[in-house]
Amino acid sequence: MAGTTIEGRDDHLRAAEGALVRIDDVIAGYFPGVNILNGCDLYAQSGELVGIIGPNGAGKSTLLKSLFGLVKVRSGKVTFDDKNITNKRADKLVSMGIGFVPQNNNVFPSLTIEENLQMGAFQEPKAFHSRFDEVADLFPALAQRRKQRAGSLSGGERQMVAMARALMMEPKVLLLDEPSAGLSPALTDEAFVRVKAINKTGVTVIMVEQNARRCLQICDRAYVLDQGRNAYTGTGKALANDPKVVELYLGTLAKA
Amino acid sequence: MRRLLLGISAVALALWALLVGGAPAMAADTTIGGVIKSDQEAVPGVTVNVSDETGFVENAISDEKGRWRVVVPQAGTYTVLIETDTLPPGVSLRDPDRTSVEVTVGEGQTKSVLFPTGDAPVSSTSKLDQALQLTVDGFIFGLTIALAAVGLSLIFGTTGLTNFSHGELVTFGSLMAYFFSAIMGLPFIVAAAAAVFAGGLFGFLQDRFFWRWLRKRGTALIAMLVVSIGLGIFLRYFYLFIFGGNTRQYAEYSGQAGLVLGPIVVTPKALVGAIVAVVFLAATVAWLRFTRMGKASRAIADNPALASASGIDVNRVISIIWAAGAGLAALAGVIYSLSNGVSWISGFGLLLLIFAGVTLGGLGTAIGAIVGSIIVGTMIQLSTLLIPSELKNVGALAVLIIILMIRPQGILGRSERVG
Repeated sequence: MAGTTIEGRDDHLRAAEGALVRIDDVIAGYFPGVNILNGCDLYAQSGELVGIIGPNGAGKSTLLKSLFGLVKVRSGKVTFDDKNITNKRADKLVSMGIGFVPQNNNVFPSLTIEENLQMGAFQEPKAFHSRFDEVADLFPALAQRRKQRAGSLSGGERQMVAMARALMMEPKVLLLDEPSAGLSPALTDEAFVRVKAINKTGVTVIMVEQNARRCLQICDRAYVLDQGRNAYTGTGKALANDPKVVELYLGTLAKA
Repeated sequence: MRRLLLGISAVALALWALLVGGAPAMAADTTIGGVIKSDQEAVPGVTVNVSDETGFVENAISDEKGRWRVVVPQAGTYTVLIETDTLPPGVSLRDPDRTSVEVTVGEGQTKSVLFPTGDAPVSSTSKLDQALQLTVDGFIFGLTIALAAVGLSLIFGTTGLTNFSHGELVTFGSLMAYFFSAIMGLPFIVAAAAAVFAGGLFGFLQDRFFWRWLRKRGTALIAMLVVSIGLGIFLRYFYLFIFGGNTRQYAEYSGQAGLVLGPIVVTPKALVGAIVAVVFLAATVAWLRFTRMGKASRAIADNPALASASGIDVNRVISIIWAAGAGLAALAGVIYSLSNGVSWISGFGLLLLIFAGVTLGGLGTAIGAIVGSIIVGTMIQLSTLLIPSELKNVGALAVLIIILMIRPQGILGRSERVG
């Protein structure tokens, strides 16, 4: 069982030494007096692919948003590259090297694909053309349809545009909120392959996933959240085989 | 929120009280007067008789400029009678039976009464020429509305604010141009440029220190709409307080002979105003389409949170939009007042038409606002062919309702694919 679950918070803190991204004991929520996160910890070492899974309402997306300043952190600390970024504005975080892909409404529908990507490179307009070519290697379909309005794209295509947009600034860490949401099984596979490919280029990835089993297959490490707290953490493989995790969060499908 | 509203209404109330309370001190004579002319020539020596039911009777004789004036004791209804036998030979009333007129005059007001003489001017233009003239007039008027409408549409698109004080940004421009030209003594062109700049600065400051603060507090859009109504009232009566209720003309270019271009007549100032409007509208559209900031403002209109997540400083772009929108509104004010005079309420009078233009074109699209405004302006003028000119705004708004019944998203509004 060693390494599958957190024995204690101290072990986790020790492992988090020198991590690129750290969340320490964060309490956060949307409405006054209602906390969604009740003291969460998370870290991601440079180059890691970290997954966040858990039942509905556990606070997975909220944890990701607290990292990106989209939800008010009431106590605790978020650090990136040894700098305190708690409650920092999103556009400042982008310039520091954090990219974020929301789950819904993740493209500008009235802008063309090319303009969407230009917005991704808003802070470095001069680098747009070279970055566009690099991103086009990852998403060849986008380059061919650069003049098409993003509002006319399907969910899977929008997901591609959104990821490409977030990569335009060459982020050190990419935050993905349910990249497989609403996609067909075939497209889901494609999305996971793409996430892995992005991670292989050296980008640290933290992703929230509903599709827990697939997520655990590609993750280096994962967190299982329950009621706004870390329930378990460990390598993807170990968690996928942990009987408690299987019983509670993966269900019978996982055994099949 | 409630405190703010209370504050605004208190200030508005105080200002109103000041105005009402101040009125008796400014009381002027209550008078009835007029000018008698025949073929543009003043007619002196004509007796006019003013009387009322209480037995007040006073005669006045027109002077060498044809002017006559009677000071009456109080507000009320008076009978004004022209003594036709005092008219010089060869001059007769246009309507021989209309020798007396009933007029009601308010306290401190001056009521003018006219007795038209000579033959009624016969309209020599054909219906077609008239329609052509009205279309040109309406198109030019529509361009003026479009300048203001683009700003309204951009602000609505990026912040969601339905700004009912946008008309006051228009008035601000015309008042500023008056201030710079008539009071500071600058040449009109310089004054107009300064007014547009001042308008932009006013918009920028309004956003920076007022609207941004409300947005940050998470004020609901409906509440902000109501705040904008309050701000509009406040500014309007502030203008009235400073500028007074009269309509004044800019010193330069006030009376201009029309240029005859085939069947139509256009004053040079209207033509220049229209060209300036076209240039600025084209520049705005190009800015939105091709520049980095323009694209960012369209991105914010689509999704502000995503724009911020892409690295765009949303508040900064919104400040730019406010400055540009208010500057364009000020320009609309200057062009409008060049032909229609400067008044404290001119922008408010245009507000409904601006809204009509924006809605007709499709909410939140700049080109839509331009097209919609031009249609509204043209329809207003053209409708006078068929209906009395007092009802012309009604005709244009009827067109608005009919078009929106057929195309609810507006003429250029687009429906989106969902998912």
